[in-house]
Amino acid sequence: MSLELLTDILIATVPLALIFSTLFAFTTWLERKTLARIQNRIGPNKVGIPCTRISLFGLGQPAADGIKMIFKEDIVPKGADRLFHLLAPILALIPAMLVLCFLPLKFPWTESLLPVQAFLLDSAVIFFFAITGINTIAVFMAGWASRNKYSLLGGMRAIAQMVSYEIPLVLSAVIVVMRVGSLNAAEIAGAQAGGNWFIFSPWGLTAFVIFFIAALAETNRSPFDLPEAESELVAGYFTEYSGFKFALFFLAEYISIFAISGLAVTLFLGAGNGPGLPNLPWLSIVCFLVKVFVLIAIMIWLRGTLPRLRVDQLMGFAWKFLLPLSIVNILVAGFAWHAQQQENTIITVITWLVAIIVLYSTAKGLNQLSRAKLKMREYKYAE
Amino acid sequence: MNGEIAFWILSAIAVLGALVAVRKRNLVHGVFALLVFFAGLSGLFLLLLAEFIAAVQVLVYIGAVGILLLFAIMLTERVAGDDGRRMTSRGWFWGLLAATAIFLVLLLPPIQQWPAPEAAQTVEPSVEQLGHKLMNPYVITLEVLALLLTAALIGAVTAAQAVRLDKEDEPPV
Repeated sequence: MSLELLTDILIATVPLALIFSTLFAFTTWLERKTLARIQNRIGPNKVGIPCTRISLFGLGQPAADGIKMIFKEDIVPKGADRLFHLLAPILALIPAMLVLCFLPLKFPWTESLLPVQAFLLDSAVIFFFAITGINTIAVFMAGWASRNKYSLLGGMRAIAQMVSYEIPLVLSAVIVVMRVGSLNAAEIAGAQAGGNWFIFSPWGLTAFVIFFIAALAETNRSPFDLPEAESELVAGYFTEYSGFKFALFFLAEYISIFAISGLAVTLFLGAGNGPGLPNLPWLSIVCFLVKVFVLIAIMIWLRGTLPRLRVDQLMGFAWKFLLPLSIVNILVAGFAWHAQQQENTIITVITWLVAIIVLYSTAKGLNQLSRAKLKMREYKYAE
Repeated sequence: MNGEIAFWILSAIAVLGALVAVRKRNLVHGVFALLVFFAGLSGLFLLLLAEFIAAVQVLVYIGAVGILLLFAIMLTERVAGDDGRRMTSRGWFWGLLAATAIFLVLLLPPIQQWPAPEAAQTVEPSVEQLGHKLMNPYVITLEVLALLLTAALIGAVTAAQAVRLDKEDEPPV
């Protein structure tokens, strides 16, 4: 009994770790290549199959990077807290890997493993948000244990940013939970079957945009990468990390990007739903991953396009724009749900129009209100 | 069987975390040990089939209270915490007495129904029922609580806001 349970758990979890680690390697290559093209460079193009001259567009680069990272010297600063310096990257990776279990990925070989599937929990979405929050602690731990002012500043910035953006993130997910009436990830995915995705409504689209922006901030992606702003803080909280510990941070960052994109796909983009599904069960996984990669491509595109925000802009945006907008959005979605209970086409159309007008004017108004009022800067000493 | 092994491991984690949290003189280490304790506790809730409480334990205690404590420590003078001063140990007797009393009171219910009942396979108050109860009979209570918390939040922001400086005193930007 005990051993069977253990093997079931391993069958359910090990493929997740393997698949997403492989995708991580591919994504680093994709990101470097895309950023290079955006900046009119070529990017990695030399490393391919070893001992041959085949370069395969530089697809061997992640493997080469990995080997380099493993053999690099691991340097711990003299004043650092050695134990926490070691624990921080591990603690960063664990929650990132853990939340992958809460994504409704229906692998064909897990059909018989229903009791150990975490996304079937009645509170899967809450667990997702709860465990993602642990990441903040790891970031702080890294910043504090390094005994370096840049690390500590980066860590403090990361905490302030993550705590602020968690609120719009959760509030935008509330809309989906309200409409489905469940926190179970599989039920949320099931409610969107047949192209009935939540993004195809004014409130759903607004929630998705808020969720996506907050997810960017939550995973420290550009343009919200202030905790690791290289022009201000060297590398932020992992300034003092090298070798494999740095690689772990890198891995954790990308895995949490996968996880949060996966949650966005689950909540708003219909999870594994797509054309031709009933015949081919495999296609559901492919659909899910394709959608995740579309979101990641957008993230890379934004990174290549947008400049970094200032700290006051960052905080103002979260508290004065995203938070009120998501609260108004919840109200709109609530009214719309009641209106749609009437099953009347005219009422539905009117609801949609009113919702679009209300959301648009709220966003416009908040944009006007939250704009930072900067005075003309007076230069006293540098005339 | 599985549950028993898990119970002992989680209890060991929780007790060790709590002990380290109390004994460590380095404040940051203490906070992290406290977080380990919270994590163990959340695992124990999960073992009792109270998955919602487990999730909230992680969300509120590890996610929010832990961060709050860390922020508080960062705002104090000595970040490393270890400055050689010791807490005076007067009154340890009363502390021990209070701790023992609380322990015994907590122990009362299991003693009263001594032959322990069979472990439940499922527990009635599921997350779904909790949601229905919160939204139906207790919605007013929930709203009042939400209002209270919002008022506290606004009050905290007002209290924390720095005193506005006059135009002349403004530091050069």
